[in-house]
Amino acid sequence: MYADVWIILGLYSYLRKVTTIIGFQLGMNISVVMGGMAALLSGVLLIQQYPFHFTLITVVSTLIGLIVGGLFGLLFDYQTFVTGLTNGVIIGLMSPMIGTVIEMPTMFIIFMHFFFVLCFITIVVSIKRS
Amino acid sequence: MWIIGVLFIWNVAELNSVYRVFKKKHTLFEDRFTKTMCMSISMISSFVLALYIQLLLPSNPTILYLLPILVGLCIGWKLGSLIKAPATLNGIYNGTMGGIMGMMLGAVLLNPALCNIPIESEAMIVKNMYYLAIFAALLHALISKLIRYSFKV
Repeated sequence: MYADVWIILGLYSYLRKVTTIIGFQLGMNISVVMGGMAALLSGVLLIQQYPFHFTLITVVSTLIGLIVGGLFGLLFDYQTFVTGLTNGVIIGLMSPMIGTVIEMPTMFIIFMHFFFVLCFITIVVSIKRS
Repeated sequence: MWIIGVLFIWNVAELNSVYRVFKKKHTLFEDRFTKTMCMSISMISSFVLALYIQLLLPSNPTILYLLPILVGLCIGWKLGSLIKAPATLNGIYNGTMGGIMGMMLGAVLLNPALCNIPIESEAMIVKNMYYLAIFAALLHALISKLIRYSFKV
């Protein structure tokens, strides 16, 4: 979990440098993907660690999705800001429910990290190409 | 229950004001701007309204069971039909998605054993319901305020 936080912070500080060469289309996709993934990972991992605080964890993961989507969106445009924020809010409200119903937590978390790394590689390749 | 009713009326009034601003000013902006704003407001407002409807009404008859999805569909349709046809599709998709998700969250809040959430007593369930409803209302207020601010600038 802490590794994910550092990956997101690193991508944010890298994007601050190269924000001038990215078009708005790619910027919108980046803010949606990063806000959604941050909300999903934080909701599932927190509900696995503390399964007795459903309401608090829903609020916390919603706020995390809101802040991450908003920060990634603010790098580009006002519209990307609103899109990333809304997407983070919706996925953050949903993600603790997924965390409570899964059967095999370890496998699910490994699969989700695989998915996250795949999204990350796609984003980096498309930044390099643009 | 009356707290949820008050929140429901507040959010409907807010959605109505956003819709009026949209209708008055949608010719002034380009297509991409209107599409983004349509997507955001239809998603969050159909989510919140479906959550309230699921919490307020009993879900025994079949028609009431499908009502939140229909509400989401209508919101997406109304907001999307202000511009051309692809935006209508976008609005319908996001509105229905928000409606389904709001219905799911409402069902889990009414019956936490559906999701293996270890909440036992009746008072805890009601308290959780109120907390999450107030939180969702605040989020809806924040996003609609942002959208109205973006139309002013």
